[in-house]
Amino acid sequence: MSMPTPEPATLGSDGCWHIDVRGLPPPQPLLLILRQVDDHGHDGRALIVHHDRDPAMLYAELAERGWWAERIDGDPGEVRLRLAAT
Amino acid sequence: MKTPQAHAPPPAPAPGAARRAALGGSFLSGAVGRLLPASVPFRYFGAAVVFHLAAWLVVLLSAADWPAWRGGLGWPLAALHLVTLGTLAASAIGASLQLLPVATRMPVRWPRLPALLWWIYVPGVVVLTAGMGLARPPWLALGAAGVIAVLLGYGLLLALNLRGARGMAGVVLHGWGALIALALLLASATALVMLWLGRPLLDRDSARGLHLAAGVFGFMGLLALGLSSVLLPMFALGRVPDDRRQLAAGGAALTAVALAAAAALAPAVAMPLRVTALLCGAVGLVLHLRLMRGVLAGAMRPDLGWGGRLMHMGWAGLALTLVLAAAALAADAASPWARLFGLAAVGGWLTSFLFGVLQRILPFLAAMHAAQGRRRAPTPSALTLGRALAWHAVAHALALVLLAAGIAASSALLVRAAGATGTVGAAAFAVFLATLLQRLRRAMAAPAD
Repeated sequence: MSMPTPEPATLGSDGCWHIDVRGLPPPQPLLLILRQVDDHGHDGRALIVHHDRDPAMLYAELAERGWWAERIDGDPGEVRLRLAAT
Repeated sequence: MKTPQAHAPPPAPAPGAARRAALGGSFLSGAVGRLLPASVPFRYFGAAVVFHLAAWLVVLLSAADWPAWRGGLGWPLAALHLVTLGTLAASAIGASLQLLPVATRMPVRWPRLPALLWWIYVPGVVVLTAGMGLARPPWLALGAAGVIAVLLGYGLLLALNLRGARGMAGVVLHGWGALIALALLLASATALVMLWLGRPLLDRDSARGLHLAAGVFGFMGLLALGLSSVLLPMFALGRVPDDRRQLAAGGAALTAVALAAAAALAPAVAMPLRVTALLCGAVGLVLHLRLMRGVLAGAMRPDLGWGGRLMHMGWAGLALTLVLAAAALAADAASPWARLFGLAAVGGWLTSFLFGVLQRILPFLAAMHAAQGRRRAPTPSALTLGRALAWHAVAHALALVLLAAGIAASSALLVRAAGATGTVGAAAFAVFLATLLQRLRRAMAAPAD
């Protein structure tokens, strides 16, 4: 595979998981985010996604899993999302 | 998953800074720069579904014409173009303009243009196919002028998108191949129309050969193969195939198409060129299938339901196409192999694959659209009428088998049975789409939470 090895999600000091998918080609960000939700979504922590674009394909997949997303403030040029179970 | 000690997290938002800017999928509005509004692809998909139903109805009503048909004007030719232009090309426009920007990370230039082109394209296909069915070359020429103009506009949008593409070299290679093939397709279409108008630009066999190679295998085929590397990972939640392997598979497919097109223009060496094209096509197919198998093997959702079965049927249809092409090369022109080859390519491969894709992508796009401004948006599965998809898939496969039997046996009865079965399947798909749109409208009408 030609895609870079992604960094795993990390637990931040804010009590949320963080995953940085900036620079990854589609659909790699989608896969990493959903794998994180599927594997660790049951621990009750929100997942903060650091992205460089709006992941339009993500929302329907989140809805199928009973999750939703909201945009929160991020760095300039960053799309930062907070994902949580509904 | 690592702990904070093992890997420093990205900067977290300051407490209280998590101001809600949007809910659920409302970011779609922010994605307009990269994704077209859902109404644009949906109008093309809707036209494709209606033309698909019309095609099978024409097969049903013109069954008596099929045993004697050898490719001239008439309702069988109209049915063929209701599928190729009305269903396949319309879907290709909708799907590629929606998905290529995701792959190339380049927005569509002039996003309103595809919506405007639809208003020329749909009447153009209606007039063109009516002209074919009724054997009225002036109608055909009028409809063809509209369709060719739209496809030129679409080709321009595609070229602008591919020119600025970043990443996904394999998809981009297939895209450029499809674009060159589109140019050849439009040139050969013009030559055929001029032939029917009594002003030949190219001899009939060359124009037809080029039209088939450039249209079915070049434009539609390369788009289907290339977009598979975006679609299958998206549907199955699998990894995108390696670029080098995509380029190898695409290179083989492109070479096959180029040789087939050259064979149409060089009758003296047509046979060796076609045999070589066939061999290159077989290599390309094997490489492509290995890529697709790799995607599914590591995917989070390897079972794609009826849509996945139709996609598998499409790949089997492509393999059968190559076998039938070899049989047609070895047989005389009056044999049914050439027509069976055409049916396997257009029906067995492209149409099966396309409807497999549509079964998956339509609910997905609808859910994306419905998510705007809502915390609890309808899920793709909640918008899907599963029974209709099962009916469609089974009827589609059965109709193709009946049509193949009808062509092989020169039986109008079998062709009629194929038309009836295909109509049931196409109607089932239309019900699926109508239900989806109704549920989408209901979801959109509900107050946002």
